Amino acid sequence: MTSNATHCLERMYEDRHALEDYQAGVPRWCTGCGDNAILTAVQRLCRDEDLRPEKTVFVSGIGCSSRFPHYMKTYGFHGIHGRALPIAQGIKMARPDLNVFINTGDGDCCSIGAGHWIHAIRYNMNMTLLLHDNNIYGLTKKQASPTSPLGTRSNTTPRGAYLDALNPLTVTLGVQNASFVAQAVDWIPDLMYDIVSAAFHHKGFSFVRILQRCPVFMPKVFDTWLNDTQKSLILTHDDGIRPGAAISKIYRNQLEHDPSDIDRAREIASCHDPVPVGILYRNPAVPCYEEIRGAGAQRAPEMVRNGLEAEFDKFTVWPEGQQPAA
Amino acid sequence: MNANAQLQTVFHLTGRPPAAPLQAISKLGLRPAMLARYRDLSRLRYDFPLVLIQPAAGGRLARSLSDVVNEFVRNKVPAGTPGEAMRRQLLHVEHEIRRAVSSGATGRLSDLWGMAVERVTATGDPQLADALRNAGRALSADGEVIDCDEAMAGKLLAHAWRVVQGEKLGQVRKDINGLTVRLTDILRAEFVRSEAGRTPESLRVSVGTEQQGLFDFNMMARMLALGSPASCLSSARRKRIEWALGVLRSQQFFPAVPAVEDDNTYEFSFGSCREVQQAFRERLPRMAELVKAMSIAELEGDGRYDESRHDAFFDGFDANSLSPKDMEIFPAYFVRLRGRPAGAATEGNLLELLSSGTPVKVLVETDDLLEESSLGQAQFACGVRSVQLASLAVGLSDTFVLQSTSSNLPALHDRLRRGLGVAGPALFSVYTPSAAHLGHLPHYLVGAAAMQSRAFPAFTYDPSAGADLASRFSLENNPQPDRDWPAMRFDYADEKLQRITEDLAFTLADFVAVDPRYARHFARVPHSAWDDHMVPIAEWLAGPAGSNNSRVPYLLAVDAGDGLQRLIVDDRLARAARRCLDEWHRLQELGGINNSHAERLLARERAAWEEQKREEIEALAGAATAAAAPAAEAVPAAAAPAEVPEAAEAEPERSPDEAYIETIRCSTCNECTQINDKMFAYNDNKQAYIKDIKAGTYRQMIEAAESCQLGIIHPGKPIDPKEPGLEELLERAKPFM
Repeated sequence: MTSNATHCLERMYEDRHALEDYQAGVPRWCTGCGDNAILTAVQRLCRDEDLRPEKTVFVSGIGCSSRFPHYMKTYGFHGIHGRALPIAQGIKMARPDLNVFINTGDGDCCSIGAGHWIHAIRYNMNMTLLLHDNNIYGLTKKQASPTSPLGTRSNTTPRGAYLDALNPLTVTLGVQNASFVAQAVDWIPDLMYDIVSAAFHHKGFSFVRILQRCPVFMPKVFDTWLNDTQKSLILTHDDGIRPGAAISKIYRNQLEHDPSDIDRAREIASCHDPVPVGILYRNPAVPCYEEIRGAGAQRAPEMVRNGLEAEFDKFTVWPEGQQPAA
Repeated sequence: MNANAQLQTVFHLTGRPPAAPLQAISKLGLRPAMLARYRDLSRLRYDFPLVLIQPAAGGRLARSLSDVVNEFVRNKVPAGTPGEAMRRQLLHVEHEIRRAVSSGATGRLSDLWGMAVERVTATGDPQLADALRNAGRALSADGEVIDCDEAMAGKLLAHAWRVVQGEKLGQVRKDINGLTVRLTDILRAEFVRSEAGRTPESLRVSVGTEQQGLFDFNMMARMLALGSPASCLSSARRKRIEWALGVLRSQQFFPAVPAVEDDNTYEFSFGSCREVQQAFRERLPRMAELVKAMSIAELEGDGRYDESRHDAFFDGFDANSLSPKDMEIFPAYFVRLRGRPAGAATEGNLLELLSSGTPVKVLVETDDLLEESSLGQAQFACGVRSVQLASLAVGLSDTFVLQSTSSNLPALHDRLRRGLGVAGPALFSVYTPSAAHLGHLPHYLVGAAAMQSRAFPAFTYDPSAGADLASRFSLENNPQPDRDWPAMRFDYADEKLQRITEDLAFTLADFVAVDPRYARHFARVPHSAWDDHMVPIAEWLAGPAGSNNSRVPYLLAVDAGDGLQRLIVDDRLARAARRCLDEWHRLQELGGINNSHAERLLARERAAWEEQKREEIEALAGAATAAAAPAAEAVPAAAAPAEVPEAAEAEPERSPDEAYIETIRCSTCNECTQINDKMFAYNDNKQAYIKDIKAGTYRQMIEAAESCQLGIIHPGKPIDPKEPGLEELLERAKPFM
């Protein structure tokens, strides 16, 4: 809670942040990398929502995408492979007042971190996950990831990937308590911004898969959609996103889709070509775990001590006649 | 006019004691015909008794006993024949509780359940008693059980107020605790860094007793003295933090969670408006102090307190600085005014309190709707004071108002919660019939009759629901709100034992008939004298005043043996019923039913539309006639359909000679800026545009266009015709033009 007097002071001495205020260092991503577009969209969101840097935290695992926190002048936690979500959940439980974002890649989230991913959906904690999906392990120089298309030649699959790619959208939509599922593409940055913004405003776990180009190791993988604007299916709705006229003029293949319709969302999520772009599903009624569990308990030393003693008392064997009254 | 009709007319016009064969009704034990079926309410499963429960946040504040038992039966008792015996016994226990409560028994549901089980199984088998006791323990709700009586509305509102307050205050108290911890942490961190915090004794205390032997605290103190930073807390900041901490710790508005024994929290429930005003005035400076302390604590906790900006703001912060938003966090006051509270002085205080915006929830209970007018016997002042009070409160515009009979309160649960939860003042005007005026009817039925008869209709006015009256005003669950009087089907047997069915309206006269004090306004007409001179009162009232002068209004009633009787109504009561109907019409208009303004507008629009259509038809008919005749002149060509303009925030039309970037599609991939960051730059949204076309060569422009994966760079024509290799470059530029 922020008191009204504090709000009043904030308005009197408004310190708005510019986009550059959120930029830390120079990104090491390759030229042409889609991560740059995601970084820009997120920085625009921070500026437009005037997110206070000290109240915002980006958590990542391992991979190209996971360098993201280094380039945001906010709090950040560059974690270990696949474990961004448990760290983010811990942060949210301890500090529900923070804006928590997770940046993870297709390998980080859908392979080694898949267990955490599934349960994070079910826990539905109020945070935003951006899945930077470039269909490859890029940081380690090209190994097949769970989302690599069938036949992808890589260092680990020199004869081509043997399995069909995993679809992160259908997986997420299949998990109990999924509350926000969207897909963006880095080559339509305006819509990506709208989608990330909607994800941020959704109360619950927002899962945004972003198809993102890797110009070095997978330069052609998205060419089909990149070269033909009709191959991007823009999902529009009053409860979703409404592209502006300039974007609509270029991307004319649009579909009115009600994000509350989970069955239709699953159908659309299964569609590979054209690639759906927009909000597939949103259900604000799903309860958030941190609210169910009353997160954010104060941890003053006295409170910790009292809490511990109360727990220990449950197992204490008291000498005869000395048991305190309940 | 025959003799019977003349006698009836005389009684109707004068209201004088009836002459034979008409009969006074005071000793006949009559009740309105529509209430004939409701003799023993303890056999009826309905809204009462209520169980007051401590719900989860936002949950129901009270549930009916039937609802609690139904839930248990639904979830815990086997369906079909195997559970039939258990279901019967549970209903038996429920009936026993209802009977006990209506006889005055009080207590929690768990206690009453136990007593009812004892009674039901007194001569039965012990296994059944055990099963029923276990069922009682497994019920999903427990709490005080209250019946629909004089005390009910007060108990329900007080309980609801406590619960809603608790939900709100708990959160604020949690925030205060959090701020206290944050300020304490600042002081603690400062102490740890201070000289006092680095003494060997302090260091020893900071290490657990088990490990104290492992350290040399004197050495540690010397080492820390060498390397530790000096204190960074200025005396002004320390003083400010300590002051805020002191205020947060000593505040008396929000009780500790969990509750403590020596709680010194203020009282917020009062018996008069004057007490509330006094308490509010006295506490105002403390409220300002607490708001100021909370704001300072927030800023200090975040490290955002800027003395150069904030000191001046807080130096002048006092009670006058408090805004309604600041007030919202504080507990609301609760006042219960009962009996005849609307005397001039009380009413003045109440309206002043409500109009001041003080967060107060006022329950005004009216116990008598049928008071005589203070001007004498000539007027029948039906519920004038209570109705006026609610109407006045609606006129205050920012006060939440709920009017209802006590019997209807459970049905308005959500509205009650809303009124108690809104930030501003709220008035709950409730009709709670006095036991002295019930006659032989139960309290619940009298309350229900008041609502059915439009004597005390339910409505709410919620200023927070929207800007217009349609959003704010609701007629709630009044029966058949679009009619003058609610009508219900009534079956009876005639003298030949043939079923007769009528639609009976329930009017104000029916409601007055339940009150023995006003028996003088009715006269019983023996069956032998029933004739066409008598007309049902609803029908009589439907015409304009004076249009039914030749007839006498009557209503149907039943006696103790369920015999049907006709009661004619005197003119005073009939006039009161007409005024009651007018008042109801006014409420209907507020609620959007039969709104006269809307109906006039609609009539005007309909007339205009019909006129327009008529003209169009005439024009068409004329055209058809002309077409049938030989063409005298050419028919004008139909206008071409207007081109629907494309909604475009439109990119300007570009000449192919012009170099440009489709900025809105740029994905910030850095390709172009790395080729020439003077020629290409990013805008405020970090999307590329051509900053200075002269800052680079056409070759760089072509390279940028080729490297852009989205193909959004259009190189145009070269600006330097002498640039080497132009021919080749222009060829490469073609795909991007």
